[in-house]
Amino acid sequence: MTQAAWRQFFSYNRYTAICGRATRSALKESERVKAERRGETSLRYQEWKDGKAGEQTSIKAQPKQQ
Amino acid sequence: MAMLPRAARPAVNAAVRPAIGNTIVAARAFSSTPSQGATLRELETRLKSVRNIEKITKSMKMIASTKLNKAQRAMASARAYGKANQEVFENSEAKSAEGGKALFVVISSDKGLCGGIHSSVVKRAKKELQAIGSAAGSADSTEGPAIFALGEKPKAQLSRTLPKNIAVSFNQIGKDIPTFADASAIADKIVSSGINFDKVNIIYNSYVSAMSFESAIMEVLSEQSLRDAPGFSTYEQEEDTTKDLAEFALANAIYATLVEGHAAEINARRNAMDNASSNAGDMITNLNIQYNRSRQQVITTQLIDIVTGAAALD
Repeated sequence: MTQAAWRQFFSYNRYTAICGRATRSALKESERVKAERRGETSLRYQEWKDGKAGEQTSIKAQPKQQ
Repeated sequence: MAMLPRAARPAVNAAVRPAIGNTIVAARAFSSTPSQGATLRELETRLKSVRNIEKITKSMKMIASTKLNKAQRAMASARAYGKANQEVFENSEAKSAEGGKALFVVISSDKGLCGGIHSSVVKRAKKELQAIGSAAGSADSTEGPAIFALGEKPKAQLSRTLPKNIAVSFNQIGKDIPTFADASAIADKIVSSGINFDKVNIIYNSYVSAMSFESAIMEVLSEQSLRDAPGFSTYEQEEDTTKDLAEFALANAIYATLVEGHAAEINARRNAMDNASSNAGDMITNLNIQYNRSRQQVITTQLIDIVTGAAALD
């Protein structure tokens, strides 16, 4: 079994987040609406170098990457 | 209100021809204070603005009280997550190496008007960094411990005092109860940033009581400390699973602290707005008394004018 081919691409946390999203979208409609709220995140981040903030106030676009 | 025109004339003069208006008034009054009509108008505007402020702070307090219930329930369940998280580490007696490299996560939010929440966390961070700094040269440089700042307010404060230590800053926090997805994304960013660390110190505000909060630190050990722990071999884990466990533990701890910090902030905002409303209420009482006194003075002066004028005609 190709044990964890995902390891070369991202961390365990992102792995669980993607799996969680897939599970949620497979739920029955009423349960899915409730569960979707648990997966919502609107965080944005900025990388800093040498005391200066980076220009990328990137939105957490990772959830969009399937 | 028919009496107002006579009182308004000095005020109008004072506005149009300031110097002349003031001297005319000065000749009539016994002191050089501005005409009573003007102070009356001033007091009225002040009273109106303080009344508005009181309405605003009262409504903010109501909103915070309703949000607090939901936040407290979320905090109770998140605390259980945080505790369960520590089980493996405690049972295997993992200990952080002395002088190990620490990474700091400073948790607060974007919004203000919540009392000393943000400064409490930032002060704690500075204190911790100073403790490290005194033990090993200077801490505030790019060689020092890395800081992940969560929230606009701590980011602003930290960028003024410890700018070189900030690695990544996050915002859009504090709008709603944090989800595990948020915590997971933050933990992912920490791990993928490639920064070396032996433990993560999460600095957050813990909810002590309905009246107070306190800054606290939650320590999360790295995968290496877990491997080196004496009791760990009883768990018989594979290499990869240990790494996963350490990362998941980090996400769990961040989730628990995020939710508790959120509850503490809502509580602090409710208290702060409550204090502000009662202060505004006191100001309104005082201003009202002053306003009435001033109004009565104006009326008395006008009455005196009228009576002396009538007496002069006789």
